[in-house]
Amino acid sequence: MAAPPVTAFVRAFLRLLTVQACFNYERMIGVGLGYAIEPLLRALPGGRDGPGYREAMQRSTHYFNAHPYMVGLAAGAVARAEHDGVPGAQVERLRTALVGPLGAVGDRLIWAGTLPAASAVGLALSANTRAGIGAAALLALYNVPHLVLRVWGLVAGWRHGTALGRALAAPLLRGALTVVGPLAAGAVGFALPPVTARLVGPLDLAAWIAAAAGVGLAVVTLRFAAPRLGALRLALAAAATVALGAAL
Amino acid sequence: MSALTFAVLVTWGVITGIDLVSVLQSMVARPLVAATVAGALVGEPVTGVLVGMMLELYALEVLPVGGARYPDYGPAAVAATVAAAGGGPETLGVGVVVGLLVAEAGAWSIQVLRRWNTRRVRAAAVPLDAGDFRVIQRVQLAGIARDALRALLLTTTGLALAVAARRWWPVSPRAGVLLTAVLAGIGLGTAMLNGKRLAQGRRGLVWMSIGVAGGLGWLLLR
Repeated sequence: MAAPPVTAFVRAFLRLLTVQACFNYERMIGVGLGYAIEPLLRALPGGRDGPGYREAMQRSTHYFNAHPYMVGLAAGAVARAEHDGVPGAQVERLRTALVGPLGAVGDRLIWAGTLPAASAVGLALSANTRAGIGAAALLALYNVPHLVLRVWGLVAGWRHGTALGRALAAPLLRGALTVVGPLAAGAVGFALPPVTARLVGPLDLAAWIAAAAGVGLAVVTLRFAAPRLGALRLALAAAATVALGAAL
Repeated sequence: MSALTFAVLVTWGVITGIDLVSVLQSMVARPLVAATVAGALVGEPVTGVLVGMMLELYALEVLPVGGARYPDYGPAAVAATVAAAGGGPETLGVGVVVGLLVAEAGAWSIQVLRRWNTRRVRAAAVPLDAGDFRVIQRVQLAGIARDALRALLLTTTGLALAVAARRWWPVSPRAGVLLTAVLAGIGLGTAMLNGKRLAQGRRGLVWMSIGVAGGLGWLLLR
């Protein structure tokens, strides 16, 4: 087996950064995966004119969905399977089997962990430091693990191929999944007092009462009365009420 | 607002818009980042930070999983900062309302974009299934162009709304302060609920309480 050159991995990595560019309701990010994986398939026997490349490309844009940062694992594993001469039907099954786990792991690790934690630290710093520090902290705290995860995914996917389960069982990844939720909850809790002090602190007593009413309204509505309404729509409804009251 | 400032704001809005899903996802689309930069661009960094903080509390609610419907807070934060600029707490609420409206319009625009993408992918199904790389590349890169167009329209509409809101907002300065307070309260309540949800159950409550105690300590010691 002739492994793809390093430049092919760099190209695939850069293309993976746009993996959701053509997100659609039919193939989800299948086209993005096909676009990203192509440089890794050029080293198949016969090159771009060979039957291996042609057949692999025919499979490459079929339905696929996962967390975007975890797609590198699928790209690496599928490319490795194609290089190892795994039958096409088995490659298709591998793609299908990866959809659930890569989505679940990525969503929990990133959307419900790293992102809210970085956001909360950014909020806390914005409340207490010079303008820009909080935003810069959010970007730094988020993007270091983000980019590391993307690079690791592509390399680990290629290394493990069809035995990708081993990469998903890596102790560091399992450990991160365990701590990231509580860490994010703690970070959000940490941000609440300084953010409250910054946003409401300088206001008068009537505004404090209005803010407390807003907290109560959010908790009662979003926790008990209408959880599916969403904070955004609740806030718009409250704003419309205030504007109407002021106009009358 | 000068034409140059407008052009720079629109460019920034487009960058944040495509960052949300299509390109990189580095989180410059987060309202805290988008509004902080927009504030610096219009010469009001503190307003940008405050608008960004308010909208970030709401954005904590969003879990952008799979094909879910979620707001686009990047262009929204740019418009919100422009709407809030030049005032104090009495205009901050106006900015947040503009931001929330644009973010909601952004959620709708993402669905329109995905349906558009679906039609283009369906039209190219035969060459895609034949593994024609030139078509794969064209379909994929056209997706970025479509998203950039979406973000451009969203930002431009948002900025127009921001200017209109500043000119014709029917709320007195006093009511504006109360509006800011109510919206801050709803945002804080939302953040509380979502902080607890992140670790789930009693464990989440314990971790969040530890965090709150730490935040209070930091607040008292600073």
